[in-house]
Amino acid sequence: MNLPPVDYAANRGWYPVAASADAVAGHVVAGRLWGSDLVIWRDDNGAVNVWPDRCLHRGVRLSLGTNTGTELVCRYHGWRYATVAGSCTYIPAHPDNAPAQSMCTSTLPVHEYAGLVWTTLDGAPGSVAVGTSPEPFPVEHDVNDHAGSAAVPLWAMTVNVGTGTLEVELDGLRKALTKLVGAEVAVVLQPVDPDAVVVRPLAVGEAAPAVDVSALDAAAELLSAFARRIESGAGANGDYDGNSRRSATEARGYGQVSPHGRTVSTGLLDVEVVAKWETADGIVAFEFLPVEGAPPLPAVQPGAHIDVHMTADLLRPYSLTNGPGDTAYRIGVKREPDSRGGSAAMHDFVTVGDRLTISHPRNTFPLRRDADHTLLIAGGIGVTPLLAMAQTLAATGAGFELHYFVRGPGHVAFADVIQTLGPHAVVHHGLDPAGTGEELASLLAEPGFGRQVYACGPGPMLDAIRATARSAGWPDDTVHFEYFQNPNDLDLDSTFEIALSRTARTFTVPAGETILDVLRTNGVAVEASCEQGACGTCVVPLLDGRADHQDVYLSDTQKATQDRIAVCVSRAETERLVLEL
Amino acid sequence: MIDPVARDLWCAIVASAELGPRRRFATRLLGVPIELTAETAGGFAARSSDRHLPVIERYGYLWTSLGDPVPLFDIPEYDEPDRRILNAGTLQVATSAPRCVENFLDMGHFPYVHTDLLGAEPHTEVRDYRVDTDAGGEIWATECVFYQPKAAANATEGQLTEYTYRVPHPYVAILYKSCAEDPTRNDVIGLFLHPVDAETSRAHNFLCMVDSVNTESGMRHFQQLIFGQDKSILENQLPKRLPLDPRAETPIRADKSSIVYRRHLTELGLRYGVIRPDESVAG
Amino acid sequence: MSGIRLYDYELSVNCYKQRLLLSILGLDYERVPVDFFPGREHQGDTFRRINPLGHIPVLDDNGYVVWDATAISIYLATGYDDSGRWYPVADPRRLGRVASWMAFAEGTTNTASAARLHDTLGYDFDIDACRRGARDLFRHLDRHLWLGELEGRRWLVDGDHPTIADLAVFPDAMLAPQGGVSLTPYPAIRRWTDRVKDIPGFVVMAGIYPH
Repeated sequence: MNLPPVDYAANRGWYPVAASADAVAGHVVAGRLWGSDLVIWRDDNGAVNVWPDRCLHRGVRLSLGTNTGTELVCRYHGWRYATVAGSCTYIPAHPDNAPAQSMCTSTLPVHEYAGLVWTTLDGAPGSVAVGTSPEPFPVEHDVNDHAGSAAVPLWAMTVNVGTGTLEVELDGLRKALTKLVGAEVAVVLQPVDPDAVVVRPLAVGEAAPAVDVSALDAAAELLSAFARRIESGAGANGDYDGNSRRSATEARGYGQVSPHGRTVSTGLLDVEVVAKWETADGIVAFEFLPVEGAPPLPAVQPGAHIDVHMTADLLRPYSLTNGPGDTAYRIGVKREPDSRGGSAAMHDFVTVGDRLTISHPRNTFPLRRDADHTLLIAGGIGVTPLLAMAQTLAATGAGFELHYFVRGPGHVAFADVIQTLGPHAVVHHGLDPAGTGEELASLLAEPGFGRQVYACGPGPMLDAIRATARSAGWPDDTVHFEYFQNPNDLDLDSTFEIALSRTARTFTVPAGETILDVLRTNGVAVEASCEQGACGTCVVPLLDGRADHQDVYLSDTQKATQDRIAVCVSRAETERLVLEL
Repeated sequence: MIDPVARDLWCAIVASAELGPRRRFATRLLGVPIELTAETAGGFAARSSDRHLPVIERYGYLWTSLGDPVPLFDIPEYDEPDRRILNAGTLQVATSAPRCVENFLDMGHFPYVHTDLLGAEPHTEVRDYRVDTDAGGEIWATECVFYQPKAAANATEGQLTEYTYRVPHPYVAILYKSCAEDPTRNDVIGLFLHPVDAETSRAHNFLCMVDSVNTESGMRHFQQLIFGQDKSILENQLPKRLPLDPRAETPIRADKSSIVYRRHLTELGLRYGVIRPDESVAG
Repeated sequence: MSGIRLYDYELSVNCYKQRLLLSILGLDYERVPVDFFPGREHQGDTFRRINPLGHIPVLDDNGYVVWDATAISIYLATGYDDSGRWYPVADPRRLGRVASWMAFAEGTTNTASAARLHDTLGYDFDIDACRRGARDLFRHLDRHLWLGELEGRRWLVDGDHPTIADLAVFPDAMLAPQGGVSLTPYPAIRRWTDRVKDIPGFVVMAGIYPH
């Protein structure tokens, strides 16, 4: 029986792009479907990614790259893309910059079923609910008949079916294979190009697991012979690579799926609390996953934080402790004695199963990964962003030390993660300010080429680190801080003018109001988080005028350059500031 | 119709020393079949199927054009008597000429593509550099600095190496790099692209060096190794024609020279080997 | 001059096969760069005194000169690998298989790598025939390696250790895309090339990246 021609015009529905066994750990599979090159790779948690085979940066095939188990690294410039989310987490050419959340590759839906990896080019990004089978199969003999029983992929083969005919004599092949292997065989097609398909026979049903190697070898031989016959009938044109294919694919409207296909929402994320536990005295840890049916959470860069929306206008920033490849968000919340409802509410009212609204992760404390040695200094709850950094550095084998200052043994948060860092992590407990000062002096004794410092903790400790590092001769662009809050007394007395370069608007900032207040009043959108000059979210380019910097985010050198300003607290020394907005 | 901008360029087709013994070289230029010959009386000739083409010999190569070519750029170092001038090799690459030029201007790939030769992890930072367009319309990228693990054959430690890049012609890029033997002078390394068609190029690796140590074979091997590493990247870059729309790919600060190059090609009105901003970006 | 010298060309797959084996065996050697392209030095009178056929690679081991890629690999693996694993002379059945796959490598060199020479250096070969031939061989190779994974065989020849045959076929496969032959249709070949890259002492050449 001859099947009707495969309908190549309707490139909809689910198709296989690889055998599950093709996507082994640490390997990168090159695939192709409907004229689009795809990169297929499995992470160390077992999840398979199917993406357009192009780096966002310069279009180089990602299938040339490296699978680290949590990220795919482009061969050309080392851009790293996180598993599942597809977000770019690091751009080595600019180690001090956090890639924007919009730098995110398209991710295609993935379903592993019947020993094959399936995807679809017409679906919205997202994933198929587990337990459902993809529909429809482009196959005469429906694999679904055997759902629940094992399927064993036989050797698959790309067959050139020629440009003249698209009819494939599959039923004869299926029957012959069924007879040969002693189990029911289904044949699934993967359309590659107008003139080529991958023929993927599967042994299905109860007898499938019993098919032995010699039968598989015989089946492969039969498929080879089938291909030779088809191809001799289809003419000698076996060319399914490169330029010569181009005209045919273009004529039929084939082409590359754009890596930019995914729209990255900058709106808010709805998450569910999936775990809550006390990780140290007065510190509760939470783990969040997307609510059911929502896409995976954006990937996390080390140093990033999220804002948890307690109420419509009460936000609290929390650093993410995630290591590479973690797809759930993890934060630590310390109960603040003078809490205005943030940490106390998190401790007392938020429980597993609750839904929360959070912001996309923002990274105002990015980690350089080009250091020969990195010193991480944490005080108390300030350990959270540094845990993310430590795990990232550990994964790449870079040289680093984490020094964690706590009041006593009961105050060590995320001890399980600290444990995995082995000798890289040193916990100092019970030191008084003088003892801490001595320890810091010894840690910071040696600035050197390729050395970087990251510190997060209480204001007085960070001030001590700043002073110690300066007197030891560390250049100030090698020492990076994240403050919980701005310890400076803010001076809001001045009045000045701001001009916006892109929209050619001018406003007056009166005493008692911030630049951010004035921008908001006039409907100019600027992202902000802590609103006290600590987190850096609201920093915008300063094109003219001199700023009266009152934040603790920018370094002294950055402040002196006068090319950017934290609009939530800083003001003007000149009568007028020109902002790139 | 042939793109008039590309048509009126001189293009390097073959090293004159390599045409000599073979007497005749048939190829395509901008998709048009052409042939270059060494005349028995001396000198060289070029022709397409229906007419004679202009031909000049410069920098060790024969250049021709399908149109009325604008004057060729100058390389003053070529005339210095102690320079060693060499075609290090002409390699064909399955991509457009502008993709090759852009890659030549790029430093960020050194640690990943030219590992342990021109760069090495973790020293991956591309520091800020200057890009200017001079009065003659040439692009200059200056104050370019990148960490090089082994700048010379006898070097034991890495150092920051300074480079100057120049684009004097849409299909030509030139690199100036201080030479190991005489730090007051620059070695000159050129990449002259012959656009066979819109998505196939032949890359001439031109060397103009102050070097009394290395053999010709050694210099050729090194340069072919470097370009051979680039080639496999270039051939895996899609689309093959260079997209000029700034939104087509994702440029970063380090790509300043490429941003200027793409804008320059847009302003020139070049169509060959590129995807104009007003064309669809499919493919 | 004492020691091992390899008359070498950077972009030659057959030279790279020897560099790979020399590195894996941990042997020090001197590379003598031959101006194969564009100088065609290997065809000149001087070089023909070293190899009358005018081919590279050529190996000179303290004055003992051996030419031809397969011959050099056999010489090195027999003379410098005490474990006998890279060229198993003591096991006739496996040795026969190695010889078969060395012959297969001649086939991939004459098709896939010839297509690369055509597309890169402008050699005058029948490009369609080269590519067609390469695809036929790669289909067979993919099937052999796919089946091998099911049988627990990681290399071309049975046994738990790679042989010179793996090193002989590897570069022809890796660089086939430069001759217009994509490896996308052969996922088992791509997995096997990752395994070769994991062999201790592995070195790269232009166009071949580490795993």
